[in-house]
Amino acid sequence: MKWWLIAWREIRWEVFLDRASLLRTGVFVVIPLFFVISNRGISPGPAGDATLIGLALQSVFFPALSGVALIAATFSAEKENGTLVPLLAAPIRDFDIVLGKLVGMVVPVMVACVVTLAAGYGLAAYRYGAERVARALTPELLYALIVLSLLYLVTTGSVTMIVAARVKTSRAAQQIAGIVIALSALVFAGVGFLASQIGEGWPLLALGAGLVLLDVVALEIARRVWNREEVIGRV
Amino acid sequence: MIDVQHVTRRFDGTVALDDVSFQVHPGEIVALLGPNGAGKTTASRIIGGILAPSVGDVLVDGISVRKDANAVRARCGFVTDQPSLYERMPLRSYLGFFARLYDVAQPDARAAELAKLLGLDDVLDRKLATFSRGMRQKVAIARALVHDPPVLLLDEPATALDPEMSQMLRAFIISLRARHRAILLTTHDLDEAQRIADRLVVLYKGKVLRTGATADIRAAGRPTYTVTFAGDPATARDALARAGIEAESASARDGLTALRFAADDPTAINPAALRALLDAGVRVVTLASEERSLEEAYLSILAEARR
Repeated sequence: MKWWLIAWREIRWEVFLDRASLLRTGVFVVIPLFFVISNRGISPGPAGDATLIGLALQSVFFPALSGVALIAATFSAEKENGTLVPLLAAPIRDFDIVLGKLVGMVVPVMVACVVTLAAGYGLAAYRYGAERVARALTPELLYALIVLSLLYLVTTGSVTMIVAARVKTSRAAQQIAGIVIALSALVFAGVGFLASQIGEGWPLLALGAGLVLLDVVALEIARRVWNREEVIGRV
Repeated sequence: MIDVQHVTRRFDGTVALDDVSFQVHPGEIVALLGPNGAGKTTASRIIGGILAPSVGDVLVDGISVRKDANAVRARCGFVTDQPSLYERMPLRSYLGFFARLYDVAQPDARAAELAKLLGLDDVLDRKLATFSRGMRQKVAIARALVHDPPVLLLDEPATALDPEMSQMLRAFIISLRARHRAILLTTHDLDEAQRIADRLVVLYKGKVLRTGATADIRAAGRPTYTVTFAGDPATARDALARAGIEAESASARDGLTALRFAADDPTAINPAALRALLDAGVRVVTLASEERSLEEAYLSILAEARR
C-alpha cells in the first residue's frame, strides 16, 4: 500500500496547497457551469435532451482536462526540484510510484468532476425544470459519465506521466500536456458526438469499452516505459 | 558492508564506470574522489539500488543489487548535494512520510527522535520552505537515517554549507562511523576527505586509479625533504647540484629561504645534502621531511593518469 502513501501526500500537501493548480481547476469548474447558466433555452424533444446531455458531458469533462495539466506539473516539478531522487532511493516498486502519483491526482480531480456535475445538474434543474432535466439525465447516464471521465483521466494521465518522465522541464511537460488535452478533447468530443448520433445506450457503452482498453494499454506502457533507470538518467 | 564487484555501467554507448571494484567495511569511511564526470555519482547510485550495473554486481549487507534492489535500497541511506525536500510539508510530516515508506515501526516517534538528534526538535511543525540551507541539509541527513541503515551514501553532503555547519556535519559523520555504519563519501572537498576518510578510492574516466588508506596515498611517491636556511638560494642550489641533488624552491617564513628535494634513500642523500650546503657556507636552520597534503597526492595521481 505504499502507493497510497504517495497518493495521500500528493493530495494533502501538494494539490490542496498549490494555489496555481487550485485556480486552474477552479477555472475548469466554473466554465461548464457558466455554459449551463448562459444557455438561451432548451427545446422540447430529443434535440433539447441532447443539449442537456452535452452540458452534463462538459460539466464532468472540463475539470478532468485540468487533471492532465496537474499530473504533468507535479511530476516534472519533482524532477526539476530533485525531490524524485529520495523517492527513487526508497524501497518502493516503480509501479507504486506511478500508481501513487496517478491516484494522487485522479482523486481530487474526480471530486472536482462530481461536484461540477452535481452543481451543473442543480443549476439546469433550477433553470429548465427539475422534471425535464431528470428525464434527460437519468441516474444511469450520470453514473456512466462519471465512469467515463475517470477512464479518460486515467488514460490521458498515464500518457502524460510517460511524457513527463521523459522531458526535463516543467515547461516542456506543460506544453505536451496541452497537446494531450487538446487532442484528447477533440477525439473525445468527436467520438461522443458520433455516439449520440448513432443511437442510445450501446454507443456510449462502446465508448466506455474503448476507453477501458486504452486505459489498460496506457497503464501497461507507463509501467514498461517509466522506470528508475529512465527517470534518474534525466534528473 | 558494501562490496562493489567489477561493475561496469554504460549509458547509450558511453562507459560511465569501467570494471570498478572496492569495498567499504562497517565502521569505516571511504571517500570516493575524482574529477567531474569520473563516475562518482553513478557509482553511488548503483550501490544505492537506483541504477542497475550493466556488468558486475554490488553486494550491500550481503544482498545483491541485481537480485533484490528493493532490499538494498532498504539498507541504504542516501544524502545528495541538494537536500531536495517537499517544501510545503512540515518537518514532522516529512520525516513521518519517509519513515512509513521505509516501514519504520513507529514513524512519528522516529521522526521526533531524529529531529532531536539533529537539533531540529523546536521546528518540527514548521514548513520546510522556511528552513535555512544548513537546516535543510540536516533534514536530508535525518531522512537518510530514518530507517537506521547500516550503509550511508553521502554525495557531496557539505556543498554550500558554512564552515561551522560543515564541521558539525563532519563530527556527525564520524559519530556514525563509531556506530559501525559503512559510509561512502563522494566528495570534491579533499580537505574534508583528508580529515575523516579512512580509505580513498580515486576514480578517473570511470576507472579506479588508486585505492588505499588515506595516509598511504598521501605518503605514496618519492619522499620529499625541505631544507630552510639563511643565505643565497642560488649558492645553495649550486651546492646541492654539485652533490647530484636536484632542488626546487619551496615556501619559507621568517626571512629564511627554502629548497625542496626528493630523496629515494634519505639515509644517504640527506647527509650528503647537508654536507654540501655547509661546505658552501649556507647557514642551515632545518632539514625536515615534507608531508604531502591529500590535494598534492590527488593531483599527482591525476597528472600521472593523464600522462
